Order: sequence, then C-alpha cells, then structure tokens
Amino acid sequence: MTTTTEQEIITLTNQVFEESFEIEKEKLQPQMNIFEDLGLDSLDVVDLVVALQEKFGVKIRDDERVRSIRTLGDIYQFILNLKTGGASAIVSDQKE
Amino acid sequence: METLKLIYLNTTFYLSFFLFSALGIPLLTLLVAFLSLFMSHRSIMKRFRRAISWYGTVVIRLLPFPLVRIRYKDYAKDDETDPYIFVCNHRATSDAFLMACLPYEIVQVVNIWPFRIPVLGIFARWAGYLSVREMPFEEFSRKAIELLGQGVSIVVLPEGTRSGDKTMGQFHGSIFRVALKAKCPIAPLCIAGNENIINRGSLLLRAGTIKVHKLPALQWEEYKDMKPFKLKNRVRDIIARELAVMDKEA
Repeated sequence: MTTTTEQEIITLTNQVFEESFEIEKEKLQPQMNIFEDLGLDSLDVVDLVVALQEKFGVKIRDDERVRSIRTLGDIYQFILNLKTGGASAIVSDQKE
Repeated sequence: METLKLIYLNTTFYLSFFLFSALGIPLLTLLVAFLSLFMSHRSIMKRFRRAISWYGTVVIRLLPFPLVRIRYKDYAKDDETDPYIFVCNHRATSDAFLMACLPYEIVQVVNIWPFRIPVLGIFARWAGYLSVREMPFEEFSRKAIELLGQGVSIVVLPEGTRSGDKTMGQFHGSIFRVALKAKCPIAPLCIAGNENIINRGSLLLRAGTIKVHKLPALQWEEYKDMKPFKLKNRVRDIIARELAVMDKEA
C-alpha cells in the first residue's frame, strides 16, 4: 500500500489538465475557475471526470459535490476528500 | 444633428421593420406553402431556409441603410458542394441576422430564448434550427450530422450569450465534437462593430459600420488529431486575433 499526499494530488490533477486539455502549467493555479478561466464546458467536465478516475483509481459519482466544483482548488479538495473520506492529507492509494 | 439622425434612423427602421415583417412573412410563408404542393420536403426546406435568409438580409442590410452599413470580407460562396460549420463570435443580437446573409443553406444553433420570439421563433423551429440546450448532446450531434450530410451548413455562436462589448467569452465545445465526427470544415467568422449599433438591453439603434470577416476554413485534415478542447480554443484564438485587428481598424 502506498500513500498519496496533498502535494501529489495537486501534481497528478495538474497532469490531467496538461495531458487531457493541453493547458499550460502556469495557468494551473488553485483559484482558477475551471469554466471561466480555464474554458472547460459541461462536456469537457465529463472527460475530466473520466481522466481523474483513471489517474487516481477512484470512482467519481455525479452528485451534488461534483456539481458544486468551480475552481481547481475545489478539485484538489474533492479528490483529497474522496481518498481520505475528508479525514487526512495523507491517504491510501486505491490503485496499489 | 446627431439627435435628428437618431430619430430618423429609429423611426424609419422600426416602421419599415414592422411593415416588412407584417407583409413579407405571410407572403413568403404562402409562397413556400404553395411550392410544397409540387416539391419534395427537402426542396421545400431548402427554399424555406432561403426565404428566411432573404428576410434576414432585408432586415439587416436594407432597412437601416445608409446609417448602418455592413462591410463583408470574403463572404462570397467559395464552394458549391461542401457544407461548413460556421463559428462566430457573439457581441450582439444582430449576429443572427448577419448570419442569415451567408450565401449557403444554413441552420443556426440557438439557445432556448430565440424559439420564444413571437413568429420568428416558430419559423426558426420549422426551419430545423437546433436548440442546443433543449436536447442531450447525442441528439444534437445526430441532428447536426444529419443536416451536414444533406449539405446544410451549420452556424454556431459557441459563446452562448452575447457579450455586448468587445470581450469574448469561453467557447462551448459541442459543435467541435460534431465537426470532428462529421469531418466537416470549420469556417471562423468575425463580427465587429455591431456592439455599438444597439447597446445591450436597449432598442435604440445608432449609426455605424458593422464588419463581417469570413476567414479561411480549417479542414478536417488539419484538425483531426486535436482534442475537442484544443480545437475549440484554436478556433477561438483565430477569431480573437482577427477581431483585435478589426477593432484596431475601427
């Protein structure tokens, strides 16, 4: 079993944005709105969810928490909560 | 002098607009209905869309002339066979009328509200305009590809909402996913100047010049390896660059 730190979650999430959407690294700041600043739309969000699921080996359900995501920081927090149940910054990686 | 100009422009435009609409719409409808007795559904749709195009051309080019002028660049039809996906920036309501002047058989992709405009909304629905918010993407994609297959070009304003000024919003990617699937050329269109003719939330017309530039189309071979996100932003960048030049010239 390996662990994923908060910093690793940020790095891996940013990788998803770079690989799937070819967004420059400099733009990937936590305060960036994924719709207004990064230019994603509802269909891109579907692609994003698929890519995040693959990257983190998690299942993301289309629920209220997903729909309330606005910024990149929200995504970091969401993944972190998903992997820790909201408990800790050091979490188990389900892939391993 | 400026006030007199404003009064003249608004009086002549709105009077002639209502008069032309009251006479022209029923006349064109009757003509299409009469022709439908002798022609196939496809031929009728072609003529019906052409009738809408005539109506739009008169409203936007003739009625406000000479105080509102439109300068087109590379707007002529350059291909007899291929339909296009026309992607346009969206600063003002008049964009829809300006697109109607395109010398192609077209269907516009619209939001919900244009379908609610009295009379014109009904005609838009009859002409097969696609209300993108009222259908799931799969249905939108299927209908759009079907239209392209019939040789009908599609006009889309991917910002969704008019900006009312010189800013440009983010693009929605639905139509770019359709383009990738349909292998259809994408022609960027840039409209500048109409944001000054009618301010957002107002009906008062002002004199001015509207510029419409059609840029060379991106062929499928050029963009086939791009992801939809990259493609929509590539087209947005092309339009933004041209608009910057057009705004500078103004």
